[in-house]
Amino acid sequence: MIEYWSWWLGALGLGGVCLAYFLLVGRLLGVSGSWAKVVGWRENRLLRQANQDFAANQDEMSDALMAETLAEFGEDALQEFQSESSISETPAKVDVNDLDSSTPWTAHLCFLLCMFIGAFATAIISGQFELRYELSPMHSRIFGDTWEVWLALLSGGMMVGFGTQMAGGCTSGHGLSGCARLIPASLLATLVFMISAVFLSMLMDVMIR
Amino acid sequence: MKTSHIKSHFEYGLVGIMFGAVLTRIGFADYDELHKMFIFSDLRMMYSFAGAVALSMVVLLLMNKRVPKQHKILQPGTVPGSMLFGFGWAITGACPSLVFVQLGHGALPAVFTMMGIILGVWMYRKAHGRFFGWDTGTCGV
Repeated sequence: MIEYWSWWLGALGLGGVCLAYFLLVGRLLGVSGSWAKVVGWRENRLLRQANQDFAANQDEMSDALMAETLAEFGEDALQEFQSESSISETPAKVDVNDLDSSTPWTAHLCFLLCMFIGAFATAIISGQFELRYELSPMHSRIFGDTWEVWLALLSGGMMVGFGTQMAGGCTSGHGLSGCARLIPASLLATLVFMISAVFLSMLMDVMIR
Repeated sequence: MKTSHIKSHFEYGLVGIMFGAVLTRIGFADYDELHKMFIFSDLRMMYSFAGAVALSMVVLLLMNKRVPKQHKILQPGTVPGSMLFGFGWAITGACPSLVFVQLGHGALPAVFTMMGIILGVWMYRKAHGRFFGWDTGTCGV
């Protein structure tokens, strides 16, 4: 039997990781956000490029708008408008970094892969590592044959991926970071996913009895 | 590559290693332990989770001014999304971070969970652009 950390040591460790993430990265921990950036890196890059192009061609755009205005309303209206608005004239530039965070998506990929490395190394050191073809005896008892387990994992994984993106956070984003800041949406989300996980687990537990 | 980019890779990687190690030692990758937590026969991990929230709450309150405002809002997808996630978590024993920890333990079927998550995230992006379009406030955006 493997000895796990006692609850208070686990709390210290988990809380410590949240704080380390904040102190090193400057943001609050959120794994599903990293997932979103890794899976959607291509679309995000296209979006950023489009924004950059727009920012570069802004003068061209305003010239074109000016020409249209001249054609539509005539010189007099334009001069009148310019004399009114010249006092509060501020150039509105599109901030590219504002629309997408400046952290490269590969850093998020690095975060996810290092989670694997950290878990692997720790599992080896503490003797928890074991190559297994099933998740656990209990899991196989619930879901049955090998292919049924695989199917359950695939569809369950899709629910996790879809659900976390829809809810805008997961255990770390809503549960750890959001609840620590007492954000109403995160408290609600944590309550809902805990209750639904407990409900389904109890149901599965009753069914295999 | 810019120096700031190398630095952020290093920082994210360091926290990732710590996160993986801590989750391993708490036992979150063990489906049996997780199942015992969900049916309330062993609440050790629940206490760890609550303790971690309490600890970060206190420390973050002390540094209140430096903490960036989180963009987490109540949106139409919050409740149905969380419900889907809860059911998926009970089935696979994996939240988006635990799947890597399970793989690190040598649980090979977790590959299927990972494929499912990638597919699910990708599908949501498509569905969101086409049907939903509201602000989800996903972490760090």
